[in-house]
Amino acid sequence: MRRVFACAALVLVLTPANRAHAQGNPDISLIGQPFVSWTDDPASTARKRPVFDVGEIELVFDAALNPYARGWVTLAFADGEAGVEEGYLSLLRGLPAGIVLKGGKYRVGFGKFNPMHPHQVPFAERFGVLAAYLPGEEAFNETGVDLSYRLPLPTSWSVTASADVLQGDSFRVPREPSAAPNDPLAQDPEGGDRASEPRAAWVGRLAAFAPVGDRSGVELGFNATQGTNNVAAAARTLVLGGDVKAKLWTGPNAYLLVQGEYVALDRDDATWDETAGRYALAGFKGSGGYLYADFNWDRRYNVGASAETFEDPTVGGERQSAFGLFAGLALMEETTAFRIDWRRIQPAASPGGPDPEPIQQLTLRAIFSMGPHKAHQF
Amino acid sequence: MFRKTRLALLASAIAVSLLAAAPAAAKLRVAASTQDLASIAASVGGDQVEVFAIARPTSDPHRVEALPSYMVQVSRARLFLKVGLGLDRWADAIVDGSRNPKLTIVDCSAGVSVLEKPTGKVDASQGDVHPFGNPHYWLDPRNGAIAARTVAEALAQADPANAAGYRSRAEAFARDAQATWERNAARAKALPSRTLFTYHRSWSYLADAFGLEIVDTVEPFPGIPPTAKHLAELVEQAKARGVKLLLQEPYFASDAGRFLEREAGVRPVVQTTSCAEPVAGSYLKHFDEILGALEGVRP
Repeated sequence: MRRVFACAALVLVLTPANRAHAQGNPDISLIGQPFVSWTDDPASTARKRPVFDVGEIELVFDAALNPYARGWVTLAFADGEAGVEEGYLSLLRGLPAGIVLKGGKYRVGFGKFNPMHPHQVPFAERFGVLAAYLPGEEAFNETGVDLSYRLPLPTSWSVTASADVLQGDSFRVPREPSAAPNDPLAQDPEGGDRASEPRAAWVGRLAAFAPVGDRSGVELGFNATQGTNNVAAAARTLVLGGDVKAKLWTGPNAYLLVQGEYVALDRDDATWDETAGRYALAGFKGSGGYLYADFNWDRRYNVGASAETFEDPTVGGERQSAFGLFAGLALMEETTAFRIDWRRIQPAASPGGPDPEPIQQLTLRAIFSMGPHKAHQF
Repeated sequence: MFRKTRLALLASAIAVSLLAAAPAAAKLRVAASTQDLASIAASVGGDQVEVFAIARPTSDPHRVEALPSYMVQVSRARLFLKVGLGLDRWADAIVDGSRNPKLTIVDCSAGVSVLEKPTGKVDASQGDVHPFGNPHYWLDPRNGAIAARTVAEALAQADPANAAGYRSRAEAFARDAQATWERNAARAKALPSRTLFTYHRSWSYLADAFGLEIVDTVEPFPGIPPTAKHLAELVEQAKARGVKLLLQEPYFASDAGRFLEREAGVRPVVQTTSCAEPVAGSYLKHFDEILGALEGVRP
């Protein structure tokens, strides 16, 4: 509740009092995304019944802070909770060699999907492979510092290298305490694995964008991140990834967007060895990826399809796959849009067990945005 | 041995790319949101400048995606010419992404008499209204002359050694713009019909400059595609007011124009709001092309 009041106070302070002060106030956008969903997942309490949900509401503030820096704050309201989803500043100019520095809490630039907010993608749920392999619950979102550098090439290609140092908390994987009396977690369920101790994580990304004609382009990216998932056991998580995004304009108001990512996870899983009286590390190595294509035309309509497959770490690396179809209608760009998507998920089987029944999900979302139009970034 | 050679080759390649990326000392690089501003800058800058435009005439200047390649090109520029009045807000993302601390932003709308400034409360229920007024001012050649003088002053500040040249070329451009206006105003007076529809409110300055009357727009609100009801109203207006012409941009759908032609004999004329090339002379030549297209319509 205290956080709700803090956010409300921030909103009151930042909301423009009158037009005379508009020059000094930040741009403010409010984005709502209520939805109705349906699933036949036997594990869901709402199986085969529609669920109406107000979804997450985002309040976004951004403004130039001075000639060199820009600030962004995104407050998220969901399930009666309020929180700072992102809050960072970027030093855009003034550092040597055109280096840009970003500091604060932000969606980490690992791949092309993770930095995007849910209302920016044409389907309701993020891909299972990203949820299973990347740190963080709803996204890989951390507090840290990012430095990026664009290589000075003689062409109009953009090749950017970036490196982040993060707090690393989102890498923690809670461990179930064993029955062993000497298990530190049995003795101290809260602090036994020293999960609250900071351990820095790092991220690296190299991305290359090549224009195709006047408006189209292709971007390739390579990503790596490593952090500590159990401090006491010194267990680490390493994720490597590659991504591609191509946007090809087929007419003045029509384009095809194709995006895909391949992600590989190499994770130490800590357990407690009662006999030796110390931690033991088992390893999980798996990989997977997604691909989707989205055709947009007449500024209002879009249809597309997605597919993904990955080795699920929660069921011993057995393969999970999914296929989806989606469509959307935008009344006037991002101000009001309706999106429907259907997904058929083939869950991973337990080792040696039979294949589970496929799960179907259907989601209809309305997305509305109040505030100034923002530039569309590639 | 081979390893050393490979390392030397790699080092040479990097050195060459770094040298090639260094800004050329000879010419002042100017980036512009549109080809019109780039063309004006080319006229004013002469041989001292190298210009580059982002938005293409065949695509909507309100909606330009901030591609990283644009940011790379703007990173090498000394000036960035903005249309302003809220038209090219997308340029801010490109300027920020350019990481260019030496870039000067020039708002070319400075000094222009802005049409259609909204009065009272402005909100999205009125469509995609520009709160500072209609930003398509470059479609009056006299406003092109104002922009040319603004560009000349910005160039003079960036390159004081050639200031006199920039200013004198801006004055020559203003005389050409006046002649273009007078020539085409006379042609407009001779048009068989001077009432027209436009698709979007892009052509208000052109109509104002050449004495044309825009009876209505195909969009019921700016940025909102037409409804069947609104098209039916346009048919009634066309018959009542004798409107025989629809002026629209190539990036808008053609079905409304076809409907109006079929139901009320309104001839669609598709013209870009921007000139064809970001080179000197192209901006003023564009007015001759537009008037030529209007002359080609016989009721």
